[in-house]
Amino acid sequence: MDRIIGRFHQCVAEENGTELAKIFSTKAPASSPNFFYDLRRASNAQHIDGEIHYSLTPRNGFSFDSAEVNAWAEVFVNYWKAVGEFIGLEESTDRGELKDGQYGEVYDVWKAFTNSLIKYHSSSVLPFWTIPCLYTALTDLRTYAIKADEQSVNAKGSINFSTGLQDDIVSSVGKNEKLEDYARVLNRVFNMCLQDRAPVEYSRKWGTYFTANLMFKTYFKLNAVSLSKNMVQAINAQFDMPSLYRFPRSEIVTFKYYIGVMTFLREDYVQAEQNLTEAWQLCHKSAYKNHQQILTYLIPCRLITTHKLPTSELLSPYPRLQALFGPIAACIRKGDLAGFDAALFAGEVEFVKRRIYLTLERGRDIALRNLLRKVFLAGGYEPLKEGQTEADLIRRTRIPIAEFAAAIRMGLGADGKLLEDDEVECMLANMIYKNLMKGYISRERAMVVLSKTAGMAFPGTGV
Amino acid sequence: MAASGPGAASTTKAGASDAKDGDTKDVQKPIAALEEDDEFEDFPVQDWTEEDTQLPGGNTHLWEESWDDDDTNDEFSVQLKEELKRVGKK
Repeated sequence: MDRIIGRFHQCVAEENGTELAKIFSTKAPASSPNFFYDLRRASNAQHIDGEIHYSLTPRNGFSFDSAEVNAWAEVFVNYWKAVGEFIGLEESTDRGELKDGQYGEVYDVWKAFTNSLIKYHSSSVLPFWTIPCLYTALTDLRTYAIKADEQSVNAKGSINFSTGLQDDIVSSVGKNEKLEDYARVLNRVFNMCLQDRAPVEYSRKWGTYFTANLMFKTYFKLNAVSLSKNMVQAINAQFDMPSLYRFPRSEIVTFKYYIGVMTFLREDYVQAEQNLTEAWQLCHKSAYKNHQQILTYLIPCRLITTHKLPTSELLSPYPRLQALFGPIAACIRKGDLAGFDAALFAGEVEFVKRRIYLTLERGRDIALRNLLRKVFLAGGYEPLKEGQTEADLIRRTRIPIAEFAAAIRMGLGADGKLLEDDEVECMLANMIYKNLMKGYISRERAMVVLSKTAGMAFPGTGV
Repeated sequence: MAASGPGAASTTKAGASDAKDGDTKDVQKPIAALEEDDEFEDFPVQDWTEEDTQLPGGNTHLWEESWDDDDTNDEFSVQLKEELKRVGKK
C-alpha cells in the first residue's frame, strides 16, 4: 500500500497523468507479479477507507483539501475492490474454470471504479490533467463488457441447445447487454468532455476525441453506426472546440478512419476518400493491421470516385488484401465481365461482412467501360485524306454496335450467348448516361457515334 | 498507455501472427484465414512524428488507372482482337 501511495504522491507532484493512469492498472506490473496479492493483503474491506484517508494527509506530503481527499479515497477504495476481482479472474483463467458471469462481475466492479472517476471529474474535484486515468479505465471497461457479453451468449447458447426453440427470442435480446451499458457510460464522459467550459489549457475538451473514438468502436460493434452521426454533429456544433489537428496523431488517425468508414457506408464516397486518405497518410508506419483496415475501404472508394485501382506495390505487403481485391481488380483492368462476376461471387461472404459488396459491384461498369474502350482502340484511325499528315490522324469514332456486342458477348463468356441485341444497346446507353462513354447511338445505322474530340470518347482515359 | 487493457496484449499478438501466416495461408484459402474481428486497433503510442508515418516503400506509384492494361498479349486480349476481326469481315 505504501508503495502505491508513494507513486501516487510523485505523480501528483509532477502532474503526470500518463504515469498516474498506470497506477490504476488492471494488470499487475510484469516486474512484480505478486503486486495485486500484496495490495489486497495490506488491508481489508472494513479498514481500507480509513487507511486511505489517513494516507492522503499532509503527513505524507499531500496538500489536498477535504473534497479532494474524499474523492481520491473513493477512487482508491474502488480500485482496491476491483483488484480482488482481478485476482479471482486470473486464478479462474489459470485453472481454466471461469465461473458463469464472472466477466460480468469484473465489469461491474470496474464500472464502479470508472464511475467514481467520472463523478469527480464532472464536479471538477479531480484536476483535468488526471484524465488519462479515465482513458485507460474506459478502454479496459470496454474489453470487460465485450468479454462479459460473449460469456453470457455462450452460457445462453448452451441452454438453448437443451431447451429448444422458444428461447431464441430471449437470447437475442440483451445479447450486448454490457456493451450497451458501456455505451451509456461512454456517452456521459463524452458530454462531460465536450461541454467543459474551463479555459482551453485546462479543459477536459482534450478528452473529446479519445472518447469519440471509443464511441465509434462501440457503435460499430453494436451495429449501430447511425448513432455515430449524432456524436459527430455534437462535436461540430462546439464552436470553441480545438482543431482536430492539435490532438495526438493516434486520435486523429482513428477518428479519420471511422469518419471515413461512416461516410463510406452512407455512400458519400468523396468525403470517405478524403478522410481515409488522410488516415492513411498520418498512420504510424508500423501499424500494419490498421493500414490494412484503411485500405479495405479506400480501395473500393477510389474505384468509384476516380476509377483507380491499387498497384501491386501497394497490395504486396498485405496478402489478405491481395486475396480480397487482386482477382477483381485484374478483371476490371482487362474488361473481363465473366471473370468479374466470378470474382465478386467468390468473395461475396467476405465483401458482405466488410460491407463493401455493393460498392465493388459498381465496379462492373468500369470493367465494361474498359472493354468498350478496347474495342474503340482496336478500331484504329480514319484513313488520311490528301494533304493530311500523321498529326491529323483521328480515331475511328463510328463503331458498329455489332463490334461492341461481340466484345460484350465474349466478355460474358458462357452467359454471353444468351445476350440479346436490345440488351447490348441498353448497356451502351447506360455507359453514355453515366458519362463513362461520350457519344450517341444511331439506331438506323446500327452504330455508336463517339465524340471526335481527342480524349473525350472515354472521358478521363486519354482517348 | 492505451495498450494496458486486458485484451490489448492478446489482440496485438494475434495481429502479428496473422501477418506472418498471411503469405502462405491467405493466398490459397482467403475465407478460412480471415479473422472474425476486423477492428481498428489501438495504437501502442499516442503520438508520433511526420517521419514515423513514412512507409518503407514510400508513397510512389500506389494507384494506377483502371484502363491502363499494359498486358495486351494475355489470352483475353488476344481472343478479343480475333473476335473483332471476325465481326469486321462479316
